Parts: sequence; C-alpha cells; structure tokens
Amino acid sequence: MAAIMERTASELRRQLEGRQRVIRGERMQVLGWQVLILLVVLAFWEWTTRVPWFIEHTIMDPFFVSRPSAIVQRIYDWTFGPKRGHLWPHLASTLWATFLGLVAGVATGFAVGLLLSQNRRLARILNPYVIALNSVPRIALVPLITMIFGLGVGSKVVTAWFMVFFLVFFNTFKGGQSIERELLDFCRTLGGTPRQITWTVRVPNALAWAFTALPNAVSFALIGVVISEFVGSTTGMGYLMITSLATLNSTDMFASVVVLSAVGVTLVALIRRAERRLLRWSPEFR
Amino acid sequence: MIEVEAASKVYVTATREIWAVRDISLSVGGGEFVSIVGPSGCGKSTLLNMIAGFEAPTAGEIRVAGARVAGQIPDGLGYIFQKDTVLPWYTVRQNIALGLRYRGRSAGLINEKVETLAALAGLEGFEELYPHELSGGMRRRLALVMTLACDPTILLLDEPFGALDTHTKTLLHMELLEIRRRTRQTIVLVTHDLGEAVTLSDRVVVLSRPPSRVLMNQSIDLPEPRDVFSIRETEAYAHYYQAIWKVLGQEFRAAGMTH
Repeated sequence: MAAIMERTASELRRQLEGRQRVIRGERMQVLGWQVLILLVVLAFWEWTTRVPWFIEHTIMDPFFVSRPSAIVQRIYDWTFGPKRGHLWPHLASTLWATFLGLVAGVATGFAVGLLLSQNRRLARILNPYVIALNSVPRIALVPLITMIFGLGVGSKVVTAWFMVFFLVFFNTFKGGQSIERELLDFCRTLGGTPRQITWTVRVPNALAWAFTALPNAVSFALIGVVISEFVGSTTGMGYLMITSLATLNSTDMFASVVVLSAVGVTLVALIRRAERRLLRWSPEFR
Repeated sequence: MIEVEAASKVYVTATREIWAVRDISLSVGGGEFVSIVGPSGCGKSTLLNMIAGFEAPTAGEIRVAGARVAGQIPDGLGYIFQKDTVLPWYTVRQNIALGLRYRGRSAGLINEKVETLAALAGLEGFEELYPHELSGGMRRRLALVMTLACDPTILLLDEPFGALDTHTKTLLHMELLEIRRRTRQTIVLVTHDLGEAVTLSDRVVVLSRPPSRVLMNQSIDLPEPRDVFSIRETEAYAHYYQAIWKVLGQEFRAAGMTH
C-alpha cells in the first residue's frame, strides 16, 4: 500500500513538473514571437530604405524615415560617442520638469480630491467648475501657459501639472466617496476621533485610489512637458525634436523619439513597481 | 443597561416620509443577551444604530447606562457590522491594535493585548498578514477582537454571521458564547435567523414590518452553558422556536405579500 502511494506520489510530481515545463515553454514561445516581429519590422525598414525602387515609389525614403542602423548610431553618438554632451542636458531638463510637474500634480490632485470627497456640499458647489475645467482641451492652453510662464522650466511644470492634476483628483475623489459608512462608524466605536479616523481610514483609502492613477500620471506628465517644449523652450527632448524638424533631420528626430519612449517605459515600470510595494495589502497586487 | 422609550425614526426624502420604527420601547438589562428578529426591511438595524448613537431618534428617547444617547457613541459600546469592517491596509496586528492606538495606550500594553486577542481569535501566526489573505470567518473574528480590545461592556451585533456558511457560523456562535461567559457583556444581536437567536440569547424580541413595533418578547430559558451543536436537538429549543415562529412566520408571510 505504502509502495503504491509512494509510486503515485512520484508520478504526480513528474506530471506536475512536466506541466510546469510546458508553461515555461509557452512563455518563451510568446517572447520569441514578440522579438521576431520586432526584428522583421526593423529588417524591413532597414532594407527598404536601401532599395531604390522603395525609396522612389514609397514613403521609405531615408531622408524622411531615416533607418534603424542610423538611429542606433545617432543615439550612441549622443550618449557615449563623439557628441556625448548633446543628449544629457536635454534629457535631464525634460526629466526634471516631468518630476516637478508630477509631484505638484499628484500632491494637489490628492489634497483637493480628498478634501472635496469629505465635503459633500463643497463638492456639489464646485462640481460645474471642475467639469468645465476638465473639459478644456489641455493642449489648447499650452501656448497661453508658455506666454505666462515663459520659455523656462516654469511653463513645462505648469503644463505637466495641469495634465496630471485632474487625473489624480478624480481618482482620489471617487475613492474618497466610495468609503463605506460602516467602516467609519466601526472606527468611531473603537474610540477614534475624527482626526484619527482621517489619518487611519480616509487618507490610506484615498492614497490607494490615487496610486492607481500614477502610471497614467507619469505618462501624462511626460507628454505635458514635451508638448510645452514643442511650443516654446530652449532645452528638453521636445526642443530637440523641434530643432530636428527645423533642420529636416529625421535621424535626430527618430533618435529623440526612441530615447523618449525608453524614458517613458522605464518611468512607468518604476512606478508600477513602487505601487506593488506600497499596495501590498490590496488583493489586486497579491 | 439599555432603555429605549417610545423611539421612532422617520426618514424624510424630498417627496415622502418613511417610518422605519414607530414607538418602540425596549429594555435590556445588564449582562443580558437579547436578540431582535423580524422580517427584512423592518427597523432592526435602525434600532441598533440609534442605540449606538449613529442615528438620532426622530421622537422618543434612548438611554444607555443611564445617560441619554444623543448623536454620540456611548462609552464602552462595541458594534459589529454585517459588512466587512477590518481595515485592508493594516495587518492583523495593526488592526487589533487600532482601538488601543486610538485611546493612546502604551506600546507595551498594546503588544501584550494584541497577543492575547490574536490567540483568542485563533489568529496566532497570522499577525503579519493582510485581511485579504484571511478567510471570511477569520476576518469576522478579527473584527470581533478589534472591538474586544476596547473592553466593551455592551456589544451590538448587526447580523454579524449573515454571510457565513453554517459550519463557520456555528463555530463563531460557540466562541461568542464562550467570550460572553468570561466577560458578561450586555449583548444585543440583530438577526433574521431565528435558530441563531434562540440558540444564543436570553430573550428574543420580534419586530413587525415597518413601521416596526414590538410584537413579542419571549424569554429563552435554556440551561447554561449551552452547547451550540446539540442544543437544537432538545425539546425546549423546539418549543421556543415554534412559539416564536408562530408570530414571526406570519409576519414574514405578510411582509412577503406587500413586497
């Protein structure tokens, strides 16, 4: 009997291990396909921009679309190659403005969201104004912001703030309102004063909701800064792209886009990671 | 301990008024365990909320330990909701400690008490977990010991076992009776489960459909200590159950027809 059980146990183990191998294999396959698609697209891009027929009859003219090898070379030149001083100040300028705008937008969006969610009357009074402000096309205001705050870091930060604020505000507001009356009453029976309940219940609850807006907020802040740099500035990745346009240099343009995308992806990944740590208590991040 | 005198509660909307309870009078003695049963939608929870001071009665008066309840939670009152009321962002340890922290107790005392209460709730070894990592029954017990940490003399329970399976429910009944045997709180339990009411309480109060009033006030004279598993097989239990069901069942039927 014991022998039979032992045999079934080892058989079961083998089966489970086999199943795990299949799962791992599937994961590798998906990754393989993803890499393959990327390589095919890049190869096609590289090749067509070297074939006269494509250059003449399609959009694949290296003057307009550059080519992957040139873009990689340009990024290398800018970062570690001969023109290594070229990229860093622009990148730093964009990142710094993004950071400031993000912090300002998250802090104010959170504070106002929390305040209005706890004050029903104030929320009702301000409701039409919030909706009106939120309906203003963000980009339409960028020239005005640039006019008021100038060509420096100021207008970039304000634009980023404006992009982020409503996002965080609405999430926090919704979260603050969603808190259950029973939870608040329960904490009152435990002896919590209104101030204690704010710090132990309302704030953590609202923070959790605000956090869920963060990955989008990072993207929005970056977009805001770059747009502001398009409209008027003297440094930044957006400025780099606008000067590439002025000089009709598509390689510079693509190199900037690639760097900017990489920055965006990295920032969002970092935020998601921080979120997972901070929201360890939430079932969604188990 | 608890005196409800001709209390009424009317909810007013822009277009109409709804009487949840009308002229209810009820008295619960110190250390008594009273269950309130009635059809769903009757003012059971409203009554409990008024005793707790969450809502003020529209008319009438409520006194707890001799003092009038007026929009303030009476001292030494604990309340367990049907809904999950543990704080998801705190660990089991932090949740148990919450009431003591609110009261500004010392860290040493808090640690000591958390340990005892975690053991009482069968949560030893789970102290550092978050509520979403616990089972439904464990979360219920956690809410209970969060309240017990504040040493309540009165416990108001609003259908606390409603959402649980029979097995978990019965175990919690046992634990509740055990806790009460040790600390003799005054307990008011609101439930729609007559079996639960008869098993646990010294007295069962039947409320009518809204506007609710007291239809029946039945003492349950079953021997102590009660065994929650075997008590339902006794004749005395059946006697009480049937006597109350005669009134309650009719009320259920009438409530069903108006729905």
